[in-house]
Amino acid sequence: MSKVLHTADLFSRLVKITPYCLLALLTIPVLGGLIGVMLPAFGWAPALNKTNMSLAGFNALWDTPGLSQMIGLSIRTGLISTLIAFALMIIMLAAFFNSVWLKRIEHLLSPTLVIPHAAAAIAVSFLIAPSGLFTRLFSPWLTGWQLAPEGSLPYDTFGWSIIIGLVLKELPFLLLIALGILAQPELGKKLRKQHQIAVNLGYYPMVAFFKVVLPNLYPLLRLPIFAVLAYASASVEMPLILGPNTPPTLAVAIMHWFNDVDLTLRIKASAGALLQLAITVGLLLIWLLLEKVIAIVFSQSLINGRRHYAHQLVRTFTYVFTCVILAFIAAALIGLVLWSVAGYWRFPDTLPSSLVLLHFENAFTHIHTPLFNTFVIGFVSTGFATILVLLCLEAEQITAKPLSKWAQIIIYLPLLVPSIAFLFGIVWLQQLLNSQHAFFNVIFVHLLFVLPYVFLSIADSYRRLDPRFARVAASLGASPWKVFFQVKLPQLFAPILIAMALGLAISFGQYLSTLLAGGGRIATITTEAVTLANGASRRTSAVYAILQMGLPLLGFILAWGLPRYVFNNKQL
Amino acid sequence: MCLLTAFSVFANDASNTVWQKIQNQGKNQSVYFYAWGGDAQINAYIQWAAQQVKAKYNINLVHVKLSDTSEAVSRVLAEKSANNHTQGSVDLIWINGANFAAMSKHGLLLKDWADKLPNFIYTNPENNPSVLFDFGLPTQGMEAPWGQASLTFYYDTLATSAPPQTLNELLSWSKANPGRFSYPKPPDFLGMSFLKYALVVLHQHSDAMLQAKLNQPVSDENTAQVLDSLWAFLNKLHPNLWRNGEYFMQSGVQMRRLIDDTELSIGFTFSAPEVPAAVKRYDLPKSIRSYAMQDGSLSNTHFVAIPYNASHAQSAQLVANFLLSPAAQAHKQKPAIWGDKTVLIQTSLTAEQQALFKAVKPHPSALPLNSIKRTLSEPHPSWVEAINTSWEARYGTSQ
Repeated sequence: MSKVLHTADLFSRLVKITPYCLLALLTIPVLGGLIGVMLPAFGWAPALNKTNMSLAGFNALWDTPGLSQMIGLSIRTGLISTLIAFALMIIMLAAFFNSVWLKRIEHLLSPTLVIPHAAAAIAVSFLIAPSGLFTRLFSPWLTGWQLAPEGSLPYDTFGWSIIIGLVLKELPFLLLIALGILAQPELGKKLRKQHQIAVNLGYYPMVAFFKVVLPNLYPLLRLPIFAVLAYASASVEMPLILGPNTPPTLAVAIMHWFNDVDLTLRIKASAGALLQLAITVGLLLIWLLLEKVIAIVFSQSLINGRRHYAHQLVRTFTYVFTCVILAFIAAALIGLVLWSVAGYWRFPDTLPSSLVLLHFENAFTHIHTPLFNTFVIGFVSTGFATILVLLCLEAEQITAKPLSKWAQIIIYLPLLVPSIAFLFGIVWLQQLLNSQHAFFNVIFVHLLFVLPYVFLSIADSYRRLDPRFARVAASLGASPWKVFFQVKLPQLFAPILIAMALGLAISFGQYLSTLLAGGGRIATITTEAVTLANGASRRTSAVYAILQMGLPLLGFILAWGLPRYVFNNKQL
Repeated sequence: MCLLTAFSVFANDASNTVWQKIQNQGKNQSVYFYAWGGDAQINAYIQWAAQQVKAKYNINLVHVKLSDTSEAVSRVLAEKSANNHTQGSVDLIWINGANFAAMSKHGLLLKDWADKLPNFIYTNPENNPSVLFDFGLPTQGMEAPWGQASLTFYYDTLATSAPPQTLNELLSWSKANPGRFSYPKPPDFLGMSFLKYALVVLHQHSDAMLQAKLNQPVSDENTAQVLDSLWAFLNKLHPNLWRNGEYFMQSGVQMRRLIDDTELSIGFTFSAPEVPAAVKRYDLPKSIRSYAMQDGSLSNTHFVAIPYNASHAQSAQLVANFLLSPAAQAHKQKPAIWGDKTVLIQTSLTAEQQALFKAVKPHPSALPLNSIKRTLSEPHPSWVEAINTSWEARYGTSQ
């Protein structure tokens, strides 16, 4: 008996310290990484024989030709793409709320979540380019074009191509997050009922959504939106492949400076990374300000009793837009599949002249090691993240103290701070600690990006678990460890698997972090894909994109299928 | 020939014990070879080399595939800044030109080993200075030569029947075919190579004094003098480029993709065998043909180097020596393997070794044998930075 008590105490004590471990694990590397970038930005770089603090890096940065255009492009594309993705997500939710179509759209969009940004950008560029699928459909029979015409997309100076690419990637993410929130039993039920009541009171369904559901839903969406905004303003892959380059976005320019053979440019790059951080923070503040303005402007209309606003028009617009987006995504996927098996495919042919498996065969001869690395890193980082998150949530229940608002933000930290601003610093830190274990370093950095998503994915299910089960078990004499392991976890089987699948998908998709932390020694499917996208053909890139989509998809299929299988067996 | 043998015997005697030591200590280790990994053919060649050194020395050669060589440069720099002076992660690096200049300037490379490799003698360094200089900078034994490359052009025969043969013809061709030619944005290696080719050709008829400045470091006085003709040429060329010169491609591979898409009709590469390989892989149409410009082909040697803090410096030397061996060089030169020109001089080889290099009939889209009539040497590496900075200021912000 005393032994049981002892282990129970040990478990409770262990659980109670996990939140601190989690927060330390997230803050120390990110802040350390930022310091590792800040020092060279202010001129301290011993490797370059520079140990005097100065503003030379910033002066060089301000003197960069076209800096204001770079900043403008980053702000424009980040803000507009997030606004469009958010607006489309909201009207789609509103139009299809409580309808079977929402589920169908969710199923159609889910797979696009796992397409890596680089692959998505390549697919989009093939659609909108002058030699792309759309012009091929009309050439030469209508246009008479034997060679690809001149065009302005992609690479347009305003950044519309980047915006299209980002919207197509971020819209599914936001929509799935929102649906996840609505799937919470209590909240979802409450909102659906309130919506029904509003409809019964004569409000048009979309209006009811905006007046009743959205005000309750939005606060829960804020952090994911911030993550999207932060990502869009500082990402590298999309603008690199779709954007203009005279000049490019700031993040792309910073990456070029970091990679330049002129090593002293790294000081300017570090200064640029801090500027990027300021821009991202500025955009988040602008978004907060917009929230306030919108809240004030529309506060009256929530209670003015108006039951419809050009309802039919908005609904038609939503239907048309949903179809356009789904068609665009479908065309991009078809394009990827066609390229992966294409023989010669010269403009203006609509379809490849022959289909070959050569590109897949070539990929499979080189894929063993990267595949092994991808799995090991993915499973270790996801497994560790899941355990940590579960213990952390258990701590919340044992101490009956929910995580503070700050802690919530800290969990989001790796998603809010542009990775270009802290990853270079983390590598420097790892060097400083003389950490030679590339595998360990990569897993550690992956953990930073996997943790937030796993947390997001499990937290609500865990918090909404009926506490009476635990109380009954405890009153029957079960130790906290037993309650956690035998009562709570089995009930959470399905959400835990989904969270792990998401964690794996995030880990599989990491590029910059794998490359930097592993010193380039650790090849994964994604690092191979991006290296080859740089050096090989659209055909090879398509093969790798399909492989990259296949792996996480496998995880999700398992996550959906396994619980059914297990529970079916139990029922038998 | 007699003298040469005598010299090699002498050299062998002197360094025999040293090399013996390297051989003994370098066996049975791993070598992390940081090399650009964007070409399947080159990757396959490195895999072949890995099998060879595994059999020969039980060395585990790991190819770390880079998308840009400067990633490895930053790696070594980060290690130096963290005071990691002995346990570096990079053992061997494929390098030349500006990356070499940067690494050697910051003291990031191991010195005085390359010219002591037993196989170095086959490059006949006395009569072949290209293996001792990298873009005009003396290598000081920090780099072992690996191969030679020349700027090669290719075009789509269905889009144009008479491709330009000189830089001037390129200008008039672009005017007649607007939007069908462009070059990657500097500092991309290939884009910079095009600009250097133009610069050298534009000075072909300048007086000797001015021409000589191309081989000297950049100074405040000579910059404008040397570069003005380049800017004058580009000002005429740019309005006729693809996207009116308002967007530039990121890389040579993007250029290849645009030729496959028929957006461009003429491209160029520093790795001639890349073209037939791409046609075989369906990445370029069958209508592609390669050729060399008649006013000259920019040529350079590429090398392998060992960082100063490499964990396995001796094993890396064994690998570098193997890469220089007649067998490895001959295998690399085969068009079906890589097609990279050897750095060995045929007269320093035995008849048996020379036989390894016999030519095979090339692919229709490959550069015809002996089509390079005139090689142009690289200007001093400091010109890269000068061209890059002015280019960025002139054309980098077009809006």
